[in-house]
Amino acid sequence: MVNLKKRIPFITGAVLFLLLSVVSVSQIQPFLKLTTRDYEEFSRVTIQPSFPLSFEIEKGSSFLLVKISIDIPFRIQKDPFDSRIIRSYGWTKGRDYYILTIKTKIRDFSYDYFVLDDPTQLVIDFSEADDESRRGDREDQSLLDSALSRESDQSSTQEIQTIVIDPGHGGMEPGAQGKYGTLEKDIALAIGLKFKAVIEKNLPVRVVMTRDTDESVSLENRAAIANFEKADLFISIHANSSYRKDARGSESFFLSREASDDEARMLAYLENNPAVVEKGIGGDSEDEITMILWDMAQSAYLKESSLLAETLQEELNFLLKTRNRGIKQAPFRVLTGVACPAVLVEVAFISNPDEERKLQTEWFQNNVVEALYRGLENYINSYTRQ
Amino acid sequence: MDRKRVAILGILFVVLVVLVIVFFKSGLKEKIIPAAPISPPEVEPLRLQPGQTRIVILFFLSENDTLLHPEEREIPADTSVVHQAKQTIQELIKGSRRGFISPFPPETKLRELYVTDEGVAYVDFSKDIVEKHLSGSSAEISTIFSVVNSLAYNFNSIEKVFILIEGRERETLGGHINLSRPFLPLYDLIAQ
Repeated sequence: MVNLKKRIPFITGAVLFLLLSVVSVSQIQPFLKLTTRDYEEFSRVTIQPSFPLSFEIEKGSSFLLVKISIDIPFRIQKDPFDSRIIRSYGWTKGRDYYILTIKTKIRDFSYDYFVLDDPTQLVIDFSEADDESRRGDREDQSLLDSALSRESDQSSTQEIQTIVIDPGHGGMEPGAQGKYGTLEKDIALAIGLKFKAVIEKNLPVRVVMTRDTDESVSLENRAAIANFEKADLFISIHANSSYRKDARGSESFFLSREASDDEARMLAYLENNPAVVEKGIGGDSEDEITMILWDMAQSAYLKESSLLAETLQEELNFLLKTRNRGIKQAPFRVLTGVACPAVLVEVAFISNPDEERKLQTEWFQNNVVEALYRGLENYINSYTRQ
Repeated sequence: MDRKRVAILGILFVVLVVLVIVFFKSGLKEKIIPAAPISPPEVEPLRLQPGQTRIVILFFLSENDTLLHPEEREIPADTSVVHQAKQTIQELIKGSRRGFISPFPPETKLRELYVTDEGVAYVDFSKDIVEKHLSGSSAEISTIFSVVNSLAYNFNSIEKVFILIEGRERETLGGHINLSRPFLPLYDLIAQ
């Protein structure tokens, strides 16, 4: 007992120290507080960061994207809520930004925002539609129509303003590995960066990279970056690997979908919810349809994607004199959610020692880039309005 | 005096515990993706004769082309479809007897296989199929479609195949082909 008595000040001190450290750690890490509250006329979302706020807002038909520039991780404090208008929140992480997706329960919403100081707060008020915001509705309906009928002539006449280049893998995820230790992620990045430089030098377009350093980017985020940047073309760069030792050459892929499957899902949904067709989409039903549409984003662009794959592959075959392995379709995860013509190019086989050696050389990388650039130019000249 | 101290200590301790709980429980929780729903294995009437066998076709790679090449294998047929399907996959990952190339890491094990009433086979592999995989697009395509085609080709009750790793859904094997949806067979890949 005497012993314990002597130790009490020490124990008290230790407990206080622990307590203070727990409190201070939770204070030091930057955080962002998200509150949702319904008022009579509108629903208010308040975004209160513990760091300086720099943001952009983009409106979709049933969601609002808020791109927040920050390159350090932070915690999100979200109050539970039950709102007439706000359905849910989602996060996508970029290299030096986060995208907050605020999904709405209603399709026709309008919004208004303002920034308050001390503490910094971004306040966004959502209210039910006025006529202005119904335009988005129609756009979405036409996306639905085109997804169903598989017609998408619009994009083939579209001017190319933004090209997204996606060097495969990166960071913790090396991709395929060659016999001499070459990593797919390094080859993809080297070629991707060279490709960007050549495009920027020769064409009046903006080129966005999904990664420009050796870092991990999830497959979903690569598509999200393309969609957020309003990409007109998406080109993913990879190096191939096969269990066949002799496998060689380049291949260009575009997405294959279990098309019948998707259509079946959509048609089954519309059959079970005839009101959707009659009254337009709204309320709870709308989320599922939006989800299917996001999931099918690439399905609407398969024709353009196949043309892009063809023009790129033609040049790769010609310039690299690789055997024509042609264009192929496969269910690539990275292509699924991309809402523009999108291809995945396997420039050569890293699993083939000859090709692995070539892939390491500047000469070969430059040839690949030249071929890709010519293919891209051909695609733009042949299939898009300039 | 002593009691007072113990009481203060007690209160501080409780506060600490509460703070620790609040600290760990608050914040943005990571979502746990539940494993795909699996219905129990089919129960089939066992009116098959003991000792009966059947021929199944397995699909392997060849050095000559990029296609999948058929190879016959005899398996016991006095069991349920699920059991036969398991045997088929086990034979497939054991490899070819005719010198074809197996598109699997040799360590790969079949953990479980179920077939739903809707005709979806859930094939659950050990993590070796991911960790030891070559990871290239072509390698992933051949691994996946040798499984999918070998099942759909031999069993009428299997229309689609969903691949699980260690009992869980996975996005891809190595960053390429989407595993989050069931696969229909791709018979175009089969050599004539």
